[in-house]
Amino acid sequence: MEPVLGAGCSTTIECTSLSPSAMIWQDVLAQAMTGELIAAMNYTSLSEICNDPEEVADALEHAEGEHGHAAAFAAEGRKIGVDVPNNVGAKHWKRLREAFLRCIAERDFIGCLIVQEIMLESFAVASYARVGRVAPGSLGTTFASIATEEEGHIEHAMEILRTERARDTQSFDDKVHRLHFDVMTTLAEMLARECVHGHCEVCHGSCVKPSLFEVSLSAAELRGASLQQYLKSLDMLGLPGEVTLAWVTQLPV
Amino acid sequence: MGNSAARVAGQGSAIEVDFALIGHQESWRAAADVLAVLRGPELTPLPDDEIKDIFPWIPPRAVCHVEVGSIAGSRAGASGGVKARGLYIDSFIPPDHLGAAYMHENIARVRGAAAYAIKAGAKIVSLGGFSSILIEGNFDQLPERQDTVFTTGNSLTVGFIVQGVRKMCALEGRDIRRSTLLIVGATGDVGSGCARCLGPLVKRVLLSARNPDRLRRLAAELEADGVQVEIATGLEQFSAEADVVICAASLASPSLWLGRIEPDAIVCDAGYPKNLSPNAQMRGAKIFFGGLGQVTGGMTFVPDFHGILNRHPFPDVAHGCLLEGMALALERRFEPFSQGRGFITQERVEEIETVAARHGIYLAPLYNADGPVEQGLACQTACSGG
Repeated sequence: MEPVLGAGCSTTIECTSLSPSAMIWQDVLAQAMTGELIAAMNYTSLSEICNDPEEVADALEHAEGEHGHAAAFAAEGRKIGVDVPNNVGAKHWKRLREAFLRCIAERDFIGCLIVQEIMLESFAVASYARVGRVAPGSLGTTFASIATEEEGHIEHAMEILRTERARDTQSFDDKVHRLHFDVMTTLAEMLARECVHGHCEVCHGSCVKPSLFEVSLSAAELRGASLQQYLKSLDMLGLPGEVTLAWVTQLPV
Repeated sequence: MGNSAARVAGQGSAIEVDFALIGHQESWRAAADVLAVLRGPELTPLPDDEIKDIFPWIPPRAVCHVEVGSIAGSRAGASGGVKARGLYIDSFIPPDHLGAAYMHENIARVRGAAAYAIKAGAKIVSLGGFSSILIEGNFDQLPERQDTVFTTGNSLTVGFIVQGVRKMCALEGRDIRRSTLLIVGATGDVGSGCARCLGPLVKRVLLSARNPDRLRRLAAELEADGVQVEIATGLEQFSAEADVVICAASLASPSLWLGRIEPDAIVCDAGYPKNLSPNAQMRGAKIFFGGLGQVTGGMTFVPDFHGILNRHPFPDVAHGCLLEGMALALERRFEPFSQGRGFITQERVEEIETVAARHGIYLAPLYNADGPVEQGLACQTACSGG
């Protein structure tokens, strides 16, 4: 699939004079940018099943915000001299998008929120925050500030989801369980130490994970932080911790 | 895949939580076993390196439901007997992070586990293993709580240590009144409690700890009760060899004992984790793990963590600190029985022992790293245990 964002945003840059870590950041930015574009697409789709005009406006505002994040990541790439590609059709991201679209097809507003705000955003908030700590200069600041903004999204959705859970706890928990295995299995594969199922179709060359140590990161750390954030989000929803712990331990590694 | 999860989920919000037990895993093997149970039998266990990557990121949370039975109800003829229900909450302290270097991180984890217990509505919370060591002098570091009380559980731990020492002396045909008792880690909550309970029974007490001021204060207290006391910050400073030893502080190396205890001394490993084992250098020593009790009214875990959360050679054995919370829950006495450091007295120990015994919680059969140390009855119990 063609990049959703890129043409006109940047020019191809000669990489021979780049810092040694620039190519690593390029892949990190590419994953982040793709995630933001998927989020923008998801919110746009969400707006189409909202009945309340306020909810429609909210979803479109979120979509716009995610586009802004993608543009910010592209800009950070330019600052360090790299073009940031994206591929919303890459196999993992495509599966995540499809999982979201299944909720859309069922006009399942709550399911959409669970996938986007609890699962995908947990992953984004935790991994951006970790990257924000170690990335140099404005690159780090951008990741950190976007992590904070995404956290705001989670808090907003939390209120709606808690109300929904209070209405019918068992049905709500069953739905989270079903979506967990659909979505989190894919995220866990993305976050595994190595891409055992082949190239992710986002990294520009070979898999970036083994090189992350060069920028004081690791795939294990990003996975750990993401799963921790996810468990905390489920705790905040009120799901029993012993249950969600079992779910997480059953994910692929 | 999700059978066990679903089963627990069904209970998640409905069950009243009488007690919560806060603990952690002592070894990576134990941590791996816990995760293997959670993953379920259909999935292959996680590789060791993945466990070490994932485990430290798990936020404190309940791992399973625990139900403990009392013999009191069945004696009274009540239908099904008295039971108390609770949660085992793991703080997920990585087993290789138990050292002083990780103190602040670990206190934060225990606080997180405590907050989880409060949120779950636990009426009484026992701080197991390292958790009580971390918090015993710092109860103000626990989160704000409304209807939840906390106990270190140290009073019942002391009770079982004292009972174990007396039993071991009897098994070995020693007259405890003629013994010289050495307590390592004497000024801690457990160590000082043991000194108060056993001091009046033995010929002489040797107290060892790192803080000389605390040692002097404890010695003065015991001497006022007529106990003959010697104190030292190093074992080599004592004028006599001990023939009964309570190690209430884990030592890095058992070689520290060499030359300072009698070759056939009775040694109670009351530290955490328990790391003393009979070896070539201590061949004659009679070592046993102290502070453990056994529930005779039955203890069940959902999911089934038998033999994993309680890794003992006998069934339904647990640390005294955890059993104190269960005993108080069975008694419907939701009070902070053991708090702070240095307040454990013989009277309080006897009181909690009485409560525990009323519900069928007794001293566990004695054992050490090599297995049971009691012949006959111990082996029979081990062989019939589930």
